[in-house]
Amino acid sequence: MADDPLSQTFAALADPTRRAILVRLANGEATVNELAEPFDISLQAVSRHLKVLEAAGLISRGRNAQYRPCQFEPARLEAATDWITQNRRIWTERFDQLEQHLKRMTHDKDKDKERES
Amino acid sequence: MSDAPTELGELTITRTFDARPDVVFECLTTPAHLTHFWGPIGMSTPLEGITVEPRPGGRYEFVMVNDETGDEYPTRGVFVEFDPPNTFSFTEADVAGGMTTAIVFNDLGDGRTETVTHQTNVPPMFLSPEAQAGMETAFVKMDAYLATL
Repeated sequence: MADDPLSQTFAALADPTRRAILVRLANGEATVNELAEPFDISLQAVSRHLKVLEAAGLISRGRNAQYRPCQFEPARLEAATDWITQNRRIWTERFDQLEQHLKRMTHDKDKDKERES
Repeated sequence: MSDAPTELGELTITRTFDARPDVVFECLTTPAHLTHFWGPIGMSTPLEGITVEPRPGGRYEFVMVNDETGDEYPTRGVFVEFDPPNTFSFTEADVAGGMTTAIVFNDLGDGRTETVTHQTNVPPMFLSPEAQAGMETAFVKMDAYLATL
């Protein structure tokens, strides 16, 4: 795994169980036991997913040693979606303008033809 | 238009243009055309800031200018593939690992062209945590500004 933050975020998000855990945490903090409940996987497996999410900065864990509730940390996710959103916006606007440019070219050509005839 | 991300960290944008592939390809690789549409909204790309060397290894460079502030945003690409009117791709040269953008031109046979633009890898501005924090600040500022409009 590349160790820059955005690559780490994308790698952490590549797993459907981890995305489901994030969706659950976006609705409020939860303990490992609570998070494991809807999934057909062991507590250990959930703990491993949580470690990946924590390393990617997508969640934080509470200090309370016994329960250590997990919390969603939106900043990293926003950085990742911002990159995609911004690139999509730039290329969409660029292609919108290319479309207009092509229309103008056709229009100018038609005018030339009119002049010739 | 459909534009779903194929994989996380990648971006695909599919568009259909009402022109033949050779015309669309020429528009995207000729400075006199590019100056009319390259800059996204709020940015211009003056002709003298565009360099296109139409061959693999050739330069594909732009200086975009913010219409309001006059700030310049240079981008330096190098063509990897250059195969008119089928496809071209370029990497951002001064980026370690490089973001690659590939555009494929599909002839729809009725005078129209479908372009599939695919971007992979991550731009350098996100590579350091400091830079990322800076970007986040910029986006927070932008959100705040947008809220006042």
